[in-house]
Amino acid sequence: MEKIFQDLEPYSVPSYSNWFSWSNIHEVERFSLREFFDGSSITRSPRIYKEYRDFIISKYREDPSRKLTFTEVRKSLVGDISILHKVFTFLEKWGLINFDVKSDKEADNCNGNCKPISVGGEEEEEGWRGRVKVEEGAPYGVRVVAAPNSMKPVATLPPPPSVRADGGRGVGEVGENGFKWPPLASYSDVFGDSVQQEKKKVLACGSCKENCDSAHYEYTKEGSFILCEKCFKSGDYEKNKLADDFKLINSGNQSDVWTEAETLLLLESVLKHGDDWDLVAQDVQTKSKLDCISKLMELPFGDLMFGSANRKSKFLDVTGDESNFKQAQLHFNESQECAKVEDPSHGLKDEGQQNGYADTQGQPLKRIRTEPTSNTSYSLMNQVARISTAVGPHVTASAAEAAVTALCYENQCSREIFDEDDNYVDLKASAENIEQKRAAQGNLLDGDEGPKQSEIQGPSSHKDTIQINLRMRAATATALGAAAAHAKCLADQEEREMEHLMATMIEAQLKKLKRKMKYFDDLELIMEKENAHIEELEESLVADRLNVLQRIFDNGISRWRDHASVKSQTGSVQ
Amino acid sequence: MKSHSAWGTSKSLVKFRIPTSDNLVPIRLDIEIDGQRFRDAFTWNPSDPDSEVVVFAKRTVKDLKLPPAFVTQIAQSIQTQLTEFRSYEGQDMYTGERVVPIKLDLRVNHTLIKDHFLWELNNFESDPEEFARNFCKDMGIEDPEVGPAIAIAIREQLYEIAVQSVTSAKESRISKKGRRAGEFYSASKTGGNAVDLVKLFGNKSSVIRKRKEWDVYEPIVDLLSNEEVDALEAKEERNIR
Repeated sequence: MEKIFQDLEPYSVPSYSNWFSWSNIHEVERFSLREFFDGSSITRSPRIYKEYRDFIISKYREDPSRKLTFTEVRKSLVGDISILHKVFTFLEKWGLINFDVKSDKEADNCNGNCKPISVGGEEEEEGWRGRVKVEEGAPYGVRVVAAPNSMKPVATLPPPPSVRADGGRGVGEVGENGFKWPPLASYSDVFGDSVQQEKKKVLACGSCKENCDSAHYEYTKEGSFILCEKCFKSGDYEKNKLADDFKLINSGNQSDVWTEAETLLLLESVLKHGDDWDLVAQDVQTKSKLDCISKLMELPFGDLMFGSANRKSKFLDVTGDESNFKQAQLHFNESQECAKVEDPSHGLKDEGQQNGYADTQGQPLKRIRTEPTSNTSYSLMNQVARISTAVGPHVTASAAEAAVTALCYENQCSREIFDEDDNYVDLKASAENIEQKRAAQGNLLDGDEGPKQSEIQGPSSHKDTIQINLRMRAATATALGAAAAHAKCLADQEEREMEHLMATMIEAQLKKLKRKMKYFDDLELIMEKENAHIEELEESLVADRLNVLQRIFDNGISRWRDHASVKSQTGSVQ
Repeated sequence: MKSHSAWGTSKSLVKFRIPTSDNLVPIRLDIEIDGQRFRDAFTWNPSDPDSEVVVFAKRTVKDLKLPPAFVTQIAQSIQTQLTEFRSYEGQDMYTGERVVPIKLDLRVNHTLIKDHFLWELNNFESDPEEFARNFCKDMGIEDPEVGPAIAIAIREQLYEIAVQSVTSAKESRISKKGRRAGEFYSASKTGGNAVDLVKLFGNKSSVIRKRKEWDVYEPIVDLLSNEEVDALEAKEERNIR
């Protein structure tokens, strides 16, 4: 029953068009479309106009949600195309067709990224027969240029090596079809000259004259002679040069791999110097200015660092310990390099408490959104830290307990693995270990300060890092556990509220029904009384009639004419 | 009263002009010099002074970086077409009520258009450019060259029909056939491409077309790939030669 009513929605017509009626032609129409009513041509007459009008409006109402185009109707109507268009625009102007239907014109040009604006737009697309759209490259008549006002067409340059995906998005990224998107007008190439300098540092191999992209081997006796990896391996040295004399320099990797020490230095210096990249680069001696910036952007909380050292205080009171936080960051960094997993506590997945983690992740975030919007830019770690402060102490305690148990489980495993000092077995594919390996290799060849240093740092910091690891994991687990517990409380409360509301609703409905029944009962009562009353009336009427007849008979029947009428009366009474 | 109607009344004799709101002449250029081909189509306002022709030719050559030999050729071609137009200008043509079918079958860059509709000849307020604009908007054509091409195609056909009606008016005057009945004089005389108005608009028939005819009058717009364009161009060249 309801479905029928849904289909029969009234068509909406603006109020200024309520003169319209199917059966008549109104003054407005006569006035605006005079040509049909002045008898100037056999091709135009009121009848013809009415047919046009009725057809167009009916056609539109077949699907009121889509915008009816003139082209769709004109194929079905016989007549001069200009006059048809005139009728069409007239109807459209008065809102009798295409009333409040948005156009989806602009959707076509968005390279398929935008959707049509109106709901009926998609149906219209399908309805266009004979339309084949093949897009190749930029739209016709558009040239892609390097900068907004320059006329140089863009050749496909390789993206600048130090500007990574994050920072270079929209500028260096190669879009569809191999086009480089023109940069926004606000784009300013701040680091352009630095990039130039960086490019000049490309090294050419001494023997094969190619660029040494990745590792290359520098001849220690003569600093300027270098060989690329391939040449070194193939043994193609110049005369008088021995394999031992070559030192491995991972120039290509040098900007890729960040040790924990370097990252620590970087973060410290950024906190200290803020935006002054020259100083930061100085502190982090082994990395260039650009490397620092890109590394910072990569780190998930890195964009917080951009700004000022004012934020230092915020970080401090969250965990109460700056070094701890740094370690947390390092841990985060490490795990990112490990597995590129967003979930920082991937090691704790099997913990029972983390059951609701996936669902509840929405909840804590929801909470945060009610606070000032700057919070949404904080990384996950930060949010977790916030939550742990926001939550009550008993929650934190239980969370900490659970976290500790989880870690004890893990503890043994990690201890075993990290126990062997000199054994450079391939460990959990953490970048830190790869770094160690390379350092060891460098050590084997010929010691130099750099590799030796990292090697020494390696084993000694090994044990330390384990402790730090576990501590950090504990911290993370605590925070997340707290969040989970809190979320559960909230969920429970919501459920209770829902139940309560449901109960109220049901009660209200019942009350309504009861009242209705009572009302009907009352009505029935009244009906019965009336019934009785009417029956009495009927009886009295019958009695009266009988009386009358009696009197007639008593007075005698005079003529047979009256006899007949009396008969008919008696007949009707019976 | 009929005084303000934009439509010519039946049997009226009007001075020759393109029966649209703007009396613009469609000009088509197709010049080949030393293997280089220049094709173009546009509308020209015949009331512009003829000196404009040369200026236009020069500017075109300069903008498109054509060899200078084109200047004279272009100017000549335009001039010829204008003169031809002007030769009809002084004469009369019948406008009577005529509805003619206009067919579009053109290719502009990558867009192929086929269409068929009716156009009223004595509607002096008609506007092919407006029709072209609506067409492109409804069919979602983004190529800005298509609209003008459509308008020019329509104009050319109207031009041709107008020319025919001039010659027919001349003939009738020469033959002095006396009075002929009715508004359909010009329709019957000047050729079969006018539509039989009585049949279509008379009281017995509906102006709603039969469904099976809808496909005939429906516009078709195709976007071609590069290969198809090349194939079509090659075919056209062969046809011309």
